[in-house]
Amino acid sequence: MAAFIESNDVTEEKKQFIAVKLSSEIYGIDIGYVDTIVRMQKITRVPKAQSYFKGVINLRGEIVPVMSIRLKMGFEDDVFTNSSRIIILKIEDQGKLGVIVDEVKEVVNLGSDEIDKPSHDAKENKHSFINGIGKNGDDLISLFDINAMTEEN
Amino acid sequence: MDVSQYLEIFIDETSEHIQSLSDNIMALENEPDNKDVVNEIFRAAHSLKGMAGTMGFKRMQHMTHDMENVFQEVRNDTIKVDSDMIDLLFQCLDAIEGYLAIIKETSDEGTNDNEAIIQKLNGFLKSAEDATAAKEAAPVEEPAVAESDSEVGEKKFLSLDLEEKDKKKLREAFDGGQKVYGMTVYIRKDCLLKAARAFLVFKAVEEFAEIIVYVPSSQDIEDEKFENDFSIFFTTEEDLDKVVTAAKNVSEIEDVTADAVSESLLVDKTAETSAPAATVVEEAPVTAPAAAPAKPAPSSSAQAAPKKQAGKPVTSRTVRVDIEKLDALMNQVSELIIAKNSLVSLSANNGAGMQNQSYQEQIEYLERITTGLHESVMKVRMVPIESVVNKFPRMIRDLSRNLNKKMDLIMTGEETELDRTVVDQIGDPLQHLLRNSADHGLESAELRKERGKPETGTITLKAFQEGNNVIIEVGDDGNGIDTEAVKTKAIERGLVTPEQAENLSQKEIIDFLFMPSFSMAKKITDISGRGVGLDVVKSNIEALGGDVEVKSVYGEGSTFTVRLPLTLAIIQALMVIIGDEKYAISLGSIVSIEDIPITDIKYVEAKEVINMRGTVIPIIRLNQLLDIDPPEEEQESLTIVIISKGEKQVGLVVDDLMGQQEIVIKSLGSFIDNSTKIISGATILGDGEVALILDVNTLM
Repeated sequence: MAAFIESNDVTEEKKQFIAVKLSSEIYGIDIGYVDTIVRMQKITRVPKAQSYFKGVINLRGEIVPVMSIRLKMGFEDDVFTNSSRIIILKIEDQGKLGVIVDEVKEVVNLGSDEIDKPSHDAKENKHSFINGIGKNGDDLISLFDINAMTEEN
Repeated sequence: MDVSQYLEIFIDETSEHIQSLSDNIMALENEPDNKDVVNEIFRAAHSLKGMAGTMGFKRMQHMTHDMENVFQEVRNDTIKVDSDMIDLLFQCLDAIEGYLAIIKETSDEGTNDNEAIIQKLNGFLKSAEDATAAKEAAPVEEPAVAESDSEVGEKKFLSLDLEEKDKKKLREAFDGGQKVYGMTVYIRKDCLLKAARAFLVFKAVEEFAEIIVYVPSSQDIEDEKFENDFSIFFTTEEDLDKVVTAAKNVSEIEDVTADAVSESLLVDKTAETSAPAATVVEEAPVTAPAAAPAKPAPSSSAQAAPKKQAGKPVTSRTVRVDIEKLDALMNQVSELIIAKNSLVSLSANNGAGMQNQSYQEQIEYLERITTGLHESVMKVRMVPIESVVNKFPRMIRDLSRNLNKKMDLIMTGEETELDRTVVDQIGDPLQHLLRNSADHGLESAELRKERGKPETGTITLKAFQEGNNVIIEVGDDGNGIDTEAVKTKAIERGLVTPEQAENLSQKEIIDFLFMPSFSMAKKITDISGRGVGLDVVKSNIEALGGDVEVKSVYGEGSTFTVRLPLTLAIIQALMVIIGDEKYAISLGSIVSIEDIPITDIKYVEAKEVINMRGTVIPIIRLNQLLDIDPPEEEQESLTIVIISKGEKQVGLVVDDLMGQQEIVIKSLGSFIDNSTKIISGATILGDGEVALILDVNTLM
């Protein structure tokens, strides 16, 4: 019984993140936002859209816009490889949004003691999309602030 | 009693009754003596009262009860309809609408007692009472009570027009000293097998009694040749209650009334016997003294009842369906069409293996079915705009009073149908435009006289279908837009330089009015307010996939033209290829497709145009517009899709045509910036690829 309660406590405290690779860094996406993960597919360009929107895809009959996190954060453009994936996020009130990542690594559990506040540097734009640094063993994971990411720059 | 499940029906029906009341009160204002209208109002108020009572909305019931009472007096000619009363009635209506609005939101009627209105109503009643007291006629309360028994409970058998042979039979029974009873049975309106129910009633009655007369005849009853009620006369030695209970035990019977009848029934065919007379006075004029029940009421009273029954519309053969269910159906049809498109493209691409002719035939069959299915579902979702526009006459009447201007509203094409979703949302923008016309469009009476116009201004609302669009025009014969003043304002606001302003076209100037927060200063009273809210109108209409245009001649009036798509979800489209991208263009806006030699392209003001059968049409190279790389080598001829909006035409240069296809419109969602509005949505092609839909209206 005691063990049961303990394990319950642990799951309450720990948050799950999908660890993804972008360039050489590892980022974490709160699994609560993730609807599904799909392989790279043909993206239909939308003229006059924001430059960081790659276009739209057909997700089982639904039209879902796809955004490049790299372009949004000011990195160089994506290079699609066999391991490229589109992570479909479900954002409250606004519907689904796909984001392109280079690779999906794993699902990690992070307790609140394993997450540090990011060192804020207002001048560097990309930090504004990060709301925490997770420590997964020796690896550091930058945790995305999904709301900041979906907002217009 | 848990009535929550009836709430939706209550809301729907109350809205209908309110509309009926509104229409009839307007009619009453024009002809205060029309008794049919008075009766109609009385009935609507009565139904409202009953419904509110059933649902437990006491305040609403109270209000409608008092309205009903007042109308009872109007019917009795003790109160005259005057403009004060009309105003008060409209106030009542607004109050009831207020209750309904609160009920819609909270399922409760709220706490507003509307004491002031009720007091005024009672003021009318009091004056009526004084009048009736003077006349020594029936008290106010009584007829109302009688009415609340409702027409179902009426003892109709007392006022029947009996045939000679039936009379003879009855007379024989009276002569034989038997006790004769009359009975009227009301079958529920929704009952399907009325004849069968009647038969069961006869059987039940015959257990205790002998039926001597059937009205209508037993043959007619067997053939279902009767409305919702029939009457019988029977003799019995049993207790009457027993017979009535037996008849009532038959299912789907609304009500049974019965009473002993005496020979006097035969003396005067419309006569009434002692006890029931008081409850039958419903239609009786006040002059019928309630204190003398034995005396037969004037024949007019008795005839009125059957007439009313006959005037009732036959139950309409419709079903109320929740709009969400229709949406679900529509979505499924959309999915089906996408699946069908996949099959079609499979069979087209997979040449050899699928050449089987019967397979092709089945595919074509499937296409026909899905197209038909789509059309049917679309039609189900279509409703006449009437439900929205029929509140406007009332609004114009109120505006006319408030603004102290005389004006008429002329509406045509109320029967024009639009998708339900569009109809639900078009009300506000139209209301805005009408207000605009009434408030700012029409001039004051003096100015109108000066300009040689009739004193009464005319506002028109015209709806009609044009291709795949529905056009609603709101026009007035008023002042028109003073473009000079608008121009000055635009310069003042720094929107344009004076030099630029000189070159602006009439249309470009008027477009300023649709800009957010472009409101004209107060001092330019003639057009002040023209800008207020017009941006909202525009964005509302654009959200529905439509657009709005203005034509105006200063001094003569303006016309706002609202163009709305007929359907929202599925359209026939021409698929075109530009570079390596595919786009859909709604077939509704396409005039023709032309192959134009490159040498035929001319330049006007450095813009490319073509001369098509005498019309100069500007052309747009879609690859430039959509940031697509142009083809490497310039072709000798261009494929140009000519599109039109109203009278304007534009040619769109495309690289290739894919053909016509039925496409399902899907939204791009809120993330992608689509402020240019060139793309109105996306669709999924047969092979699963996404193609974007061009909104060609934005290109003109």
